[in-house]
Amino acid sequence: MLLGIDVGGTHTDAVAVSRDGVAASCKVRTDHADLLVSVRGALENILSRVDRAKVRRLNLSTTLSTNAIVEGRTEEVGALLIPGPGIDPYNSMLCRHFHVLSGSIDHRGTEVKRLDQAEVAAAVDSCLKADIRVFAVVGKFSTRNPRHENAVRLALCRGEGACARGDFLTLGHELGGRLNFPRRMATAFFNGAVWRLYNRFADAVEKTLADLNLGHVKVNVLKADGGTFPLALSRRMPVQSIFSGPAASVMGIIALCDITHDSVILDIGGTTTDIAVFAGGAPLVEQDGIHIGSHPTLVRALKVHSIGIGGDSALTVLNGVVRVGPNRLGPAVAEGGSVPTLVDALNAAGLCALGDAEASRAAVAALARTHGREPEALAKEAVDAAAGSIHAAVREMTAEINDRPVYTIHELLEGRRIVPKKVYVMGGPAEVMKMPLFRKFQLSTEVPPDYAVANAIGAALTRSTWDLELFADTEKNVLFIPSLQHRENIPRTYTLEEARRDAVRHLLGHLGSLGVVLDSAEAQITRADSFNMVDGLATVGRNIRVKCQVKPGVAFRLTGRA
Amino acid sequence: MLKAVNSLGIIFFPAFDWSISPTHPEREERLLYTQDQLKEEGLFDIEGIREYKPGVASVEDVERAHFCFPEVDAVTTRSHLISAGGAITAAKLVMDKVHDRAFALVRPPGHHAMKVVHGSRGFCNINIEAVMIEWLREHYGVRRIAVVDTDCHHGDGTQDIYWHDPDVLFISLHQDGRTLYPGTGFPKECGGPTALGRTINIPLPPGTSDEGLLMALDRVVLPILADFQPEIIVNSAGQDNHFSDPITNMNITAQGYAELNRRLAPHLAVLEGGYAIQGALPYVNLGICLAMAGLDSSGVREPGFDPERLRQPRKVTDYIAEVCEIAGGLYFNPPKEPKDGVFADKWFVRRKNIYYDTDEITEAQTEMLRLCGNCRGLLKIESRSTNNPLCLGLEIPFHACDECRDLGYKILEESQLKGEFRYIQFVNKREKEFVRYGF
Repeated sequence: MLLGIDVGGTHTDAVAVSRDGVAASCKVRTDHADLLVSVRGALENILSRVDRAKVRRLNLSTTLSTNAIVEGRTEEVGALLIPGPGIDPYNSMLCRHFHVLSGSIDHRGTEVKRLDQAEVAAAVDSCLKADIRVFAVVGKFSTRNPRHENAVRLALCRGEGACARGDFLTLGHELGGRLNFPRRMATAFFNGAVWRLYNRFADAVEKTLADLNLGHVKVNVLKADGGTFPLALSRRMPVQSIFSGPAASVMGIIALCDITHDSVILDIGGTTTDIAVFAGGAPLVEQDGIHIGSHPTLVRALKVHSIGIGGDSALTVLNGVVRVGPNRLGPAVAEGGSVPTLVDALNAAGLCALGDAEASRAAVAALARTHGREPEALAKEAVDAAAGSIHAAVREMTAEINDRPVYTIHELLEGRRIVPKKVYVMGGPAEVMKMPLFRKFQLSTEVPPDYAVANAIGAALTRSTWDLELFADTEKNVLFIPSLQHRENIPRTYTLEEARRDAVRHLLGHLGSLGVVLDSAEAQITRADSFNMVDGLATVGRNIRVKCQVKPGVAFRLTGRA
Repeated sequence: MLKAVNSLGIIFFPAFDWSISPTHPEREERLLYTQDQLKEEGLFDIEGIREYKPGVASVEDVERAHFCFPEVDAVTTRSHLISAGGAITAAKLVMDKVHDRAFALVRPPGHHAMKVVHGSRGFCNINIEAVMIEWLREHYGVRRIAVVDTDCHHGDGTQDIYWHDPDVLFISLHQDGRTLYPGTGFPKECGGPTALGRTINIPLPPGTSDEGLLMALDRVVLPILADFQPEIIVNSAGQDNHFSDPITNMNITAQGYAELNRRLAPHLAVLEGGYAIQGALPYVNLGICLAMAGLDSSGVREPGFDPERLRQPRKVTDYIAEVCEIAGGLYFNPPKEPKDGVFADKWFVRRKNIYYDTDEITEAQTEMLRLCGNCRGLLKIESRSTNNPLCLGLEIPFHACDECRDLGYKILEESQLKGEFRYIQFVNKREKEFVRYGF
């Protein structure tokens, strides 16, 4: 039995699933003041209906970190940066305690300028004096050579395992091998900013589970990239738990439907419609990371695009054209609101009867009168407009995906293009919007069963994912996997083939050490390049880059049952 | 958060799967470190800066700029068409006002490719700027264009293509041809009889630093541009003037390149040469991008930068001042007669021998321009090379007069009947007709 809890903005959804299907599910209101109350409430509700001894795993998707950042309930972080030459780092100044240290490392990981130890000591002292206990240490190209970041850690922690002078520090290269110094800076900063709050929550969750006799349950936390990671690991990387909500819904669809073609997933909510695109059966991951506040980060996420069209989006008539959204002016008239919305249009068009359908008809009729229109025609036009806007947004999104930059002639000329062949719709108005959407898309359109708690099902069934970048330079005889802080010497003869094998081995080994056992077939190489490095007329070595990931996936599917 | 003052589109295409040969300077690795640097700096996250993928130039796009013998497919690879397509994509972004400026960071380069192409010279097969310019003229009706070539090597290909074109101003700043390939680019080379003073060469002595380059820009290039009033300014942005470049002898820094682009303010930049791929390109390209976007670039500093060692000797400064004097004068007071070629009847005739160093081809050609007085004139080129027997290229220019147009068709018909040419390429830019003959 697997439990899934998705703490969302309005509701907290929970399910217990086994291969036989959904054993129990519930929806409780989210208590923003104390998320643990919601988690505990949902858990108790579910446990009253299933045998708790059979529960093996709990996957948790929470808005804790997101809310903390949005509401400014974060801790002050001391940022110690080694930017070297280039764009002025003060352009991405994130916090008050922002110390720029001299020293630089180039794109190949060569130290160009040494770190100034006196400067480091002064910056650390200044932070400590201001009672800073959490630090972000980030250097430009530290993913090629972490020497400067490690030296700052040494200065701060005095070489002790548990840091002597700080409670927690994030080193830029631990966040992965991707290049982007400002994003690495922001990611390390936010990781520190939510660290204490997140760990208190994690402590409370563990205590609650013990109280509920669920101490044996393995707890994983959802990430935005459609995977989970163990609670113990999330304590060091809380930033990765941000924005996992849309990913839970997308993973739910995977569990509920047998997706094999290029597809579009639409989650029509109250305020927005979330659009995700699948290539073959797999969800697409955003190439860059998500934005937190206005800061781009390295946090990977499924590619989900939100548009301002939902059940509560207001209807407007402008120059004779009926529009839906993007404004949301309270709930639908059918639910006691004052401005007619998409839900009211669906009611007035006779497509459904949600809430007070009579009130919907009256409100739409009033709107039609002021514009000299026939009410039912206006309602139908509004429904069409909503479907049309969603269709246009999907087209734009697929065009953008197909237009993304590529770097080889092969990919440019033979690159695979995504052409959606199927549409999956979920969310409140899914059933009623099915036909209007089908008319626009002219593609097979499906509404999965259990779509109301698909997000919690997704949370329950999502597997662990991880990814790493391996970087090898045979001229310098060095191999480096930043996220694992693994550095080893390699011979001049080291090849791309060996690099591929090593990347997979390290990825699986790392997950294994976290208790996640996977077959080597689950690890997927997403990028493998080897460049001959030439000096004069002779090849002096190879510059090898390999990216490896465990694809987002579900433990099992719930398809094929009644 | 940073926001670009001038919005900038960057077409980045490193062609990671193409090289002339494994150890050739024009190889897969060339833009690898540039990509690393631009990504690590977070350049593409800056508001107003966006990365695009290149289009692919068509055969017609190439034929608008070149006579290719035996045909376009034989002298180009897919990478050349993508590189030229990248330049076109850049131009389109600016013309459609998607961005204020655009930089085609693409390879392979093109500025040594001349009007006639039998193969590769100076690592170039087709002239990507010329393909872009002819595309701009056809699709957007742009008339006056200035190309400022800042590659360390003389842009002899671009010079050859626009030798007779008064609407395209070509200015090349390069290391003196007596000390570097291709050995041309002296002030006296200043254009054909209908375009005298519209080709300007500024040869700089070895050892020129930022100071000398910017002096030539301020004293010669900017005043000429102010007078010529181009609708579009293109920078052929070669980066081999850099002090660390392995095959040249100049002392330009990333700061110098950035400042040059800040003052020149080109609408379009197209990457040309530059083979110090680790020590120069990442920093120079970053500097150019920031300068084009109107952002501060003062923090860009390459390893090994030492202002003392790069200081320009006094005698170099004095020499450049003299060159500036001569070069500037040629635009404002061009000579009355071209330096080479003869007038025969209504035609101006030049005979040229061209060596293609990369492909080891020798070409002999006779170039004839009809001086009709009403339009740019019908262009006729007879060419033979170690690769091809006698071939003919005929071009009816944009805005051609009826007389030149009719004569063009007449010559085409006669040449086909006589059968003296193995291959014929005919381009009528006025009515957009392309004819290839001989297959």
